Parts: sequence; structure tokens; C-alpha cells
Amino acid sequence: MSEDHRPGEGDRGDRPGALGRRARGVLESASRTARVARWEVSRTTGTVDRKTLFVLAVVAIAVATVGLSVADEGLGLEDEIYVVGVDEDDPYYDVAAASDQFRTVPLHEDGLDGVYGADDPNVDVVIEDGQIGYVGGNGEAAYDAFRDAIDRYNEGLMAQEEDEAAAYPVLVEIDYQDRSFEGAIEPSSDGDSDTADGDDTPDDPDGGSDDGEAADTQEEDGDGTEAGADGDGTENDSPGATDSSGDGDGDERESESSDAGSDSDGDATGLEETPSVADSSDGAVSVPGSPSTLSPPFPFRSLVLAFLFVVPMNFVIQAYGSTIMDERINRRGELLLVSPASSREIVAGKTVPYLGALVAIVVAITVAIDGGPLSVAATLPVALLFLAATFSGAMFARSFKELTFVTVAISVGLTTYAFIPAIFTDVTPIALISPLTLVVMDLQGETPTLGAYLVSTGPAYLTAAVLFLLGIGTYREEDMFAQKPVPSKVVDAIAVRVRGKRSVPVLSVVFLPFVFAAQLLAVALLFAAPPFAAVPIILVVAAVLEEVAKSIHVYAGFSRARFEPTLGVAAVLGTLSGGAFFVAEKATQIVQLVGLQEFEGAVAAFGPETAAPAVADGPFVFAGIVLAPLVLHVVTAVVSVAGATRGRTSYAVALAVATAVHVGYNLGVILLVA
Amino acid sequence: MLAIAIQLFIAAFSSFLVVGFVSMYDPDGLGGQEIDVAIVGEDRAVLEAAADEQEGLNTVRYDTREAAYGSFENGRAAAVLETTRDDQGRLLVDVAAPEEGIETTLLVVQLRETLEAVEHAERVGNADRLESLPLSVPDEVDASPYVGFTYTILLPLLLFLPAFISGSIVVDSLVEERERGTLELLRVTPLSLGDVVDAKLAATTALAPVQAVAWLALLAVNGTTVAHPVALVGLVAALALLVVGLGTVVALVAPDRRQAQLLYSVAIVGALVVSTLLPEHPANTVAKFGLGSATGTTWLLLALYGTLGVGAFFAVRATVERVDPADL
Repeated sequence: MSEDHRPGEGDRGDRPGALGRRARGVLESASRTARVARWEVSRTTGTVDRKTLFVLAVVAIAVATVGLSVADEGLGLEDEIYVVGVDEDDPYYDVAAASDQFRTVPLHEDGLDGVYGADDPNVDVVIEDGQIGYVGGNGEAAYDAFRDAIDRYNEGLMAQEEDEAAAYPVLVEIDYQDRSFEGAIEPSSDGDSDTADGDDTPDDPDGGSDDGEAADTQEEDGDGTEAGADGDGTENDSPGATDSSGDGDGDERESESSDAGSDSDGDATGLEETPSVADSSDGAVSVPGSPSTLSPPFPFRSLVLAFLFVVPMNFVIQAYGSTIMDERINRRGELLLVSPASSREIVAGKTVPYLGALVAIVVAITVAIDGGPLSVAATLPVALLFLAATFSGAMFARSFKELTFVTVAISVGLTTYAFIPAIFTDVTPIALISPLTLVVMDLQGETPTLGAYLVSTGPAYLTAAVLFLLGIGTYREEDMFAQKPVPSKVVDAIAVRVRGKRSVPVLSVVFLPFVFAAQLLAVALLFAAPPFAAVPIILVVAAVLEEVAKSIHVYAGFSRARFEPTLGVAAVLGTLSGGAFFVAEKATQIVQLVGLQEFEGAVAAFGPETAAPAVADGPFVFAGIVLAPLVLHVVTAVVSVAGATRGRTSYAVALAVATAVHVGYNLGVILLVA
Repeated sequence: MLAIAIQLFIAAFSSFLVVGFVSMYDPDGLGGQEIDVAIVGEDRAVLEAAADEQEGLNTVRYDTREAAYGSFENGRAAAVLETTRDDQGRLLVDVAAPEEGIETTLLVVQLRETLEAVEHAERVGNADRLESLPLSVPDEVDASPYVGFTYTILLPLLLFLPAFISGSIVVDSLVEERERGTLELLRVTPLSLGDVVDAKLAATTALAPVQAVAWLALLAVNGTTVAHPVALVGLVAALALLVVGLGTVVALVAPDRRQAQLLYSVAIVGALVVSTLLPEHPANTVAKFGLGSATGTTWLLLALYGTLGVGAFFAVRATVERVDPADL
């Protein structure tokens, strides 16, 4: 269908030469794509009902008014969840009364003992004559929360004192210094403390200069710090610092965010009024302040801002999934399919408006939060990934109901992929798995290396490309309008790409980004877990992923009768697939560029070869190191492919066997190297 | 199946987030190893005494700054604390800490607790200059930092999600019948439009409380017991009826699927925000039932949700009667 059948234009041929014809073909294809895009836009914007708009406007106004009016108080999720038994004349009564978390009831008539003895005490914390006790299943948690409440109450008391020096007798200042022996592992992040500093105390030259020297030698730095502390810095700044930390809102947020439940609370309000929350949470780290202002270096603000990029994507894919699904209901898409536009052009045309909208949103957000071009460059692959996953999801789903589940799964999965690793931006290089980490780094004023950019965005770009390719494979009459279960559609989509033996190794390579992204995600999710639990899980997950990637397309080929289901054919195809996978895997060892092999988890996922690149002691050893994984990949691929010749059940069994072999091999080599 | 998998995933996602955040702020749970810090300067006894009280923090005394910073540079000490007294009697502490890393997070949290103890001691020492003395903070207990999260975030999330998903299903299911034209087929059966809608409403609404029971059972297995399980299941049933009723009305009135889903999700988000105007947010109501600190207001709200659910059912009835089945 890619040829042009329109009479008149195709026959003119006044510009001879293959090049000219091709250029014209591209232009025409672009114009067809643009036309589909135009239709998509006009249909989307033209058909929104006036009543719908009215209802949306009413809801928006209601949300805005209510949201603004309650923004200061938060959602109140924790209000009065614990009960305190205390008499009104007790000094601690005011603590409970001042905190939202507690409800007070009069003390049991027999005091503490009475409460302890009661069957159903109806309180969590009980206070008598300065003694604080707790009862019941939630007593400990309530007691812990009450301790925090006392701290907050004390801060409030001290803030009202006249004598600043007596109320805040301890001043702390932290300088973060780069210790050379750790430098090899940690990503350089000098910028972080600088940025935080600039945000919080733009009028404090001392804090800034201290920080600037932080990376210098210790002698110099010590001097710098001393000058800051002895000079006017402390004397003049401390009243200001303590004031702002002592009074009301900012302080309360800060201390609240240090306990469990209210975190998401702060999060929710953070989306509405990001700057103030973020400021108080980032804390004045390197300005002298009372101890309660100390907070661990944590890019909370940048993280919340990075999250902003992902939120609109979840809404755009809803509309995008709907429009793709719409084409498949009642054979509506048939009209477009019979038009001169190829399926590729139709899909491109339908996708471009949404991609454009996403890019526009991303650019707008970037401008709003003062991000750089890097933020846009890092978010683009995430946007593509969202669209690609939704597209293939909408092609595979049987109904809107299924599509809803698919889009929710995509939303949650990709948000996890993008967001969770970014939390660890300052902690470990593992965070580079997610493109959002680059955004966080960008917002902190750091510049990642090219290798870091490739590791972060490469798998996302490639996975998006593969997903689009698979989806387009089923963008044809016999798949679009047929009711088949999702797995069988997936097999169809893959089988479309299987054409002859030559396509088998190509597909093995094409699936590599999937494997890569999935393994990275597994590493990211499990890296915080203790190694004894994480390593086996990652080993198994990685092996399963690789085995599936090596054999699923061959299985699709067999089940759609593209190949003769004999063991001989299976051996050839398995060898091709395993070999190609091995070559591709070797070629993509960019993980080493960012020092990911420091992690046991990463070693488990990417195979031990990455951990021992320099073991080339002699030609034989070297050959063994290179060839052993090759043999492994080929053998396991042949096993699972041989199973695939006999249908689904035997494929699953063979896959399990291959996985077991793979895990055993990796485990063996890891033990050997260790 | 997929629905449950997704909920599990969302719950896991949010739990992971919170565990991550909590560990960042309260990393004691991550590891119990001792951190050595170098102390140098005047008047450090009070600091050392506080550090002794603090588990996980060891102080090593140095007489010269050079020696202290030297041990910091070669990694023997995790941080250098340098103390000075100013002329107003304040204790100034300069901390040199290594750049970001999980150890620094741990260190800063430990230091904060230690220094807060010092601050409290100093304040008590300053009693004659202060109008009111700070209250003494009782001893620490080994409390799980996740209790608040479990009851105020996780439990409401797990209980509300089934209701919202049920609503979304009913929107899709009705709109799809309309768009595919299968509603026409259903109408030639002896069933009336009202019967069809009622059946869909009942089937999807019933899903939510069943899932809620499953979640509560799972949580109980995990050691999180709930004080009023029956009230919670009742609450979920009421909310599900309300939400599914809303979804049904939207699906009957909206022109196509995109707008129906848009209206439905906007309405849900709107309802969640507007519900902060209630004396208790619905999530807070769930937390109170869960923790057993329910008040009269809590029970009244439960009754209100029940009434609203029944109201939604009658709203669906009214809409079905108003809508001309031939137009759908």
C-alpha cells in the first residue's frame, strides 16, 4: 500500500532518477501522515460536547476553590487517629491539644494502672503526673508520634522566647566534603549543596563561599568554615535562621515529614504548592541553625518536580489509547486502511498530535521550573515509551475494559520505572537507570556524562521503537477487528515479523532493549534489599527474561506455521538466536561506563562477564571466557526452541529447563570469580 | 485477575515509595552499625555524653584539628564535629560530613538526634533565662515507623481502589455495549434497559466489598489488624455503590467513551478533593475505623456514605427512565 495509486500524480514522472522519486515518495508519505494527524486533531477537539465542557469547568472550579482553601491544612489524613488519656491540668495536655494527630479524653479514674488493667482502654497513650505510658496494639506507634509532637511543641514554645541565645543554645553547620577515596564510586554532585544553598539563603554570602570551598583541600576548607563561623556569618544570620525555623508553618511541615504517614500528605500538597514545601524540606543545610533544621541531603524538591513530568503523560495516554481503540470498534478503521496511506503512516499520523502535545507540555513544565534542555531530552524517551506501550496495548486489547486495565498497568509500571530509581539520584549510580534521574540532576545543576545519558535513555528509546514496531505489525485488517486473547495477539504481532530464518537472529537482537530495560528495573527495585535475597531473585528474573527473548519469536514462528516444527530446524534456529543474542549483548556493555558493576545485583542481572572484563590472562583463558557464554546462550536457546516445536505446554517446560541451566551457569561463574 | 495484579502493583509501588522515604528520614532501620565521629574543640563533654546515649554513634576525641581532619580524610572517622562557645554561651558545632551517600544520610539523622538531646540539656541549663521550660521528651521505644502509613495511606488506598476500578469498569462496559451496538441486542430480549443497567450495577458494585474483604484478610495475615472490619467493608460497599452509580449515569449521558472516561475520572478526582471539606476526609475515616479511634462523627459519616450510595442508585433509576433507549 505504500505505492501511490492516485491517477495523474504517479504517472507524471517529470523528474527522472531513483533519488528524485524516492524524495517525492517521502514527501508524499509525510503529507499523508500530516493529513491523518490533522484529522485526528480536528476530530478530537471538534467532538467534545458542550455539556461535557460545562461539567468539566464546574468540577475544575470546585476543585480549585476547595484546593486553595484547604491547601494550607493538608488533607488531614492523620487527624485524630490516636487517642490520649490525659487530664486538662497536665503539662502534656497542651501537646496533645496542639497536635492534629491526637484526640484527648479524660484520664481513667484509676490513673495509669486503671488503664493498663482495663479490657478495652479506649486510649493509645496515657499520661499521669509526667509519666507517659501506652497500651494496645497501636500504643507504640502512638507513643512514638507523641514524642514527635512534644518536640514540635517545644519548638513552638522556644520560638516565643525573648532570649534567642538561651532558647537556641546549639547551632549546627554542616559542610559536605568530597573525600577522595570515595570519589570513584560516587557521582560528582558538588552542585547539589550549592543549589540548595542558593535557594534557601540567597542573601548569605558566607554560606555560599563555604560551600564553594567544600571541594578544596581540608586545610583550606577548615579555614573557610572557621571564618564563616567566627565572622559576621553566625552573629547576624542566626536570629534569622532560628526565626524562620521556629515559627509555624515551615517548621511544622519539616518535622512532620520526618515521620511515616504524613509523607504522602506532604507529597499531595506538594503537587499544588511545590515551592514552599520543597523549600522547607530541603532545609538550610549549611547555614548555622538549631539541630532540628538538620535534614539529610535529599533531592526532595527536584524529585517532586521530576514527578511533574510524568503526571500529564498518564492523562494523555488515556486519550491516545481511546483513539486507537476507537478505530478497532465496528471496523471504523477500515476506511483509513483502504486509503492510500500505509499503516505506518496512519499510526504516525495518529501519534504525532499526542507526541506533540506531550512535548509541548514537557517544554512548558521545563520553562516553569527552570529546567534546561537536558530535562526535555531526558523526558522525551519517557513520553515515547508511554505512547508506544499504550499503542501496542490498544492494539492488543479486546475491549475498552481491557484497555483500561492495560493503560493503568502501563501508567503504574512506567511511573515505577521512571520514578523509583530517581529517588536514589544522589545515592548510587544505579539511579541512572531512569531518565528522570537526568532531570533531577539537571535541576540540581549537574551535568551527566554522555555515557550516563545513553544508559538512561537508550533502553527507553529502543523499547519504544520495538513496541511501535510490534503494534504496527497488527495494524491490519485480520488482527485489528478480530477478537483474540491478548497473548495470542502478542504472538501474532511477533509472528508478523518472522519471515524466514534470517529474521530470527535479527529479532533476538531487537528484543535486547526489552531485556535490558527489564533487568535494569529489576536491579533498581531490588537494590535496597539485602543481597542474599536480591541476588537470587535477580538471577532468576534475568535468566527468564533472556530465555524468553531468545525463544518467543521462534515459538511465534512455529505456532503460526512459519517454520517446519522439526528438531533439526529447532537446532538451527536456536543456534542462530542464541548466537545473535550473545553478540548483541557483548556489544551493549555500556553498563560499564557508569560503574554499574559495583553492585552484586547488577552482576547477577547482566551476567558475570561484565564483572571480570580484565581476566584475559592468556589466549586460552580469554577464549574460554568469551566462548563459555556463547555456548550457554546457544544451548539454552536450542532447548527452549526445541520445546516450542510441540506447542505451548512443552514450550513452557523447556523454557523452565533453559532458565534453570542459565541460572546454574551464572551462579557457578559468580561463585568461581568470587 | 489483572485488576488484582494492578492493585497489588500500586500498593507495592506506594509502599516502596514510603519505605524509601522513611528510610531516607529515619535510616536507623537500614543498618545498626556504629558510626565513628571525630570530636575536637572546647566544651565537648556535653556532646560526648549525648552521643553515648545515642545508639550507633561513637565519639573519638582529638586534641588538634589537624588530627581530627586527618582521620576524616583517611576514612577512620565518618565526620568531624568541631565545637566552640560564643560569648552568648551558645554551643557552635561545625560538622564536616562526606558528600552524599547512604552513610551520610544515616549520619545526619544520628547527629540530629544527638544534637537535639544536647540542645535540650542546654536549654534546661538556661532555665533562668527562659520564660517556659521545654517539656522533657520521654525515652524512645522500638516502634514501627510504618504504622501511620499503613493505616492512613495504604489501608484507604487498598479499600478505595476496588471501588474506583468498579466504577471505571461499569463506564467501559456500558459505553462499549452502546458503541458496538450490542445494547440493541440486549433490548430485544425480554429485559428492559433498567434491568440491564441494574444487573451491571449490581455485578460491579459487589466486586468491591469482596476485594476489600480479601485485602483485610491479607493485611491481617501480615500482622495489620483492623479494629472495625465490618464497618470498613460496609464503607467500601457504600462508596462502591456511590461511585458505580456515578459511573453508570456518566456512561448513559456522555456521548462517547473518551468523554465518559474523562468525566468519570475528573469527577472522582474532584470528589476526592472536595471531600476534604467534610469533617473527616474519607481516608481519615478509614484510618480511624482501622485504628479503633472512631468517634461519633466517623459513624455518622459512614451513615452519610450509605445514604449517598442509595441516593446514587435512585439517581441511576431516574436517569434510565429519562433516557430514551433508542437514542443510545
